[in-house]
Amino acid sequence: MPRAKFQTLTEQMFYVLLCLREECCGTDILDRVPAMTGGRVSVGSGTLYNLLEQFVAAGMIRETRVEGRRRSYLLTAFGRETLDREYRRIQAQAEDYRRYVGEE
Amino acid sequence: MEKTKRRLETFSFYDRTGLEAHLARMAEKGWLLEKIGSFFWTYRKIEPKTLTFSVTYFPEASQFDPGPSEEQEAFYDLCAHSGWQLAAASAQLQVFYNEGPDPVPIDTDPVLEVESIHRTMKKSLIPSQLTLLALAVFQVVMFAWRTAEAPIENLTNPAVPLIALCWALVVALAGVELSSYFRWHKKAALAAEHGEFLPTRSHRKLQLGALVLLGLSVACYILSVAVSGSRMVFALTVVLFLVYIPGLFLVLWGVSGWLKRRRASAKTNQAVTLIALAVAAFALLGVITFGAIFGHDRGWWQADRGTDRPPLRVEDLLDPGYDGYEVSCSAEQSVLLGRIFVNQEPPISLIQEDYARYKEIPTMEYTVVLVKLPALYDLCKNALLHDSDHLYEDLPAEERRCYAPDDPAPWGAREAYRWTASDREFSIYLLCCPDRIVEINFDHDWKVTPEQMALVAERLGRGELP
Repeated sequence: MPRAKFQTLTEQMFYVLLCLREECCGTDILDRVPAMTGGRVSVGSGTLYNLLEQFVAAGMIRETRVEGRRRSYLLTAFGRETLDREYRRIQAQAEDYRRYVGEE
Repeated sequence: MEKTKRRLETFSFYDRTGLEAHLARMAEKGWLLEKIGSFFWTYRKIEPKTLTFSVTYFPEASQFDPGPSEEQEAFYDLCAHSGWQLAAASAQLQVFYNEGPDPVPIDTDPVLEVESIHRTMKKSLIPSQLTLLALAVFQVVMFAWRTAEAPIENLTNPAVPLIALCWALVVALAGVELSSYFRWHKKAALAAEHGEFLPTRSHRKLQLGALVLLGLSVACYILSVAVSGSRMVFALTVVLFLVYIPGLFLVLWGVSGWLKRRRASAKTNQAVTLIALAVAAFALLGVITFGAIFGHDRGWWQADRGTDRPPLRVEDLLDPGYDGYEVSCSAEQSVLLGRIFVNQEPPISLIQEDYARYKEIPTMEYTVVLVKLPALYDLCKNALLHDSDHLYEDLPAEERRCYAPDDPAPWGAREAYRWTASDREFSIYLLCCPDRIVEINFDHDWKVTPEQMALVAERLGRGELP
């Protein structure tokens, strides 16, 4: 079954949106995601380019600044809502895990 | 030592996996991709080293773009930040390399990557290949229909089988390319949902085989036309391959390159280039037609093969007591069939000058169809036997005429037929010899003798034709 767009987020989408809680540009995101995850998650430059385009089109982020070819973005209210919903979903998963496995 | 080299690469446009592996092998041999041309790819000499290549697609780009768009430049910046340098790009196809060990790939989400490839394919290759496939299927069907209707006229023209072969190759290539892509895309979309990028593949051997076959066919065609075709056909062939086709490519590259340098938008460039191509195609055709007429007026084509060397003349069979004949002789052949047509009769002007004399002079007309591919024999025989059936369909039985079986022995043929009406027979014969069919038409009063039949068999029924 294909994933309904942005109903659930991939790890890469999640961290890109998380970075954009504060204004940053594409290259910042490329550096920050591995730093935030201890190198566990990296976003490819092509994937990031496509994600930024799609997030803007979906109204989840907005362009805040253009300096030459450098564009900066920031999460919108809808983007924050999507991010929070994903957080709650992951949290619910973690709680389920704790309930069934953590108590053994 | 050479610093650059050019190669003909036969990868499918979307074959990311195959291209990346090939470019990495080239770098290990000391060649780095520098430019993707219309036919050849250019490689630059480097120190042999291990490089990682990434082939990616930018769906919004076009071959008519004056240069990379701002968005494309922003994309390049992101790639450069991760150590990916642009090696070469052509329209949507973007090739990067990375010198670092184990770099983060450019595409890390298979779903997005498959979507991007599919958007690119929907914009460029799928519509063009589908159009080409439809056109090629139409041409192949038309060829089959024309061959069934008039096999001899269609298959003796050396260009027709060659053109049909080209279209058949286009059907095979475009069909395989499109069906492979759709199969790959269906599986790749599913695999991407599970986090995997399904490797792509090309049909390089098929493409290379088709190119070699095409090259050999064109070479055979040019050779056969040079050796046995008419001067005009040879001249037209040379003009087609050396002037017309290269000329159109020069217009395409010249106009679109000039507009790119003038920074015209992709849409303007595409529209102007298409108009220029159409104008150039018509103008070149006009010049070629003018050249053919100009040459005809000056008698350049008059030494066409066979005009003065018919294999059999009226004088070989009897003494006509007349030497003012006009003889027209034409011949053409392809790899499948050959045909020679000879007509020998007094000039038309004699009808007005002396009609009684004109009627007395024996005339002869014949066609020899040489069947090089035995499978075509019955098709050609039936075409000749029933060529005129449609003329008699609506006539009463006594007025109908057709070929009726006749004794083949005096002709030394396997089968013979004679043109017959319900009440009489004409001196028109169809002779089926082992590798050819002869249709010979003597004038009405000519009673053909066994000796004359034997000579016809010897001159036309066997051996080499001019």
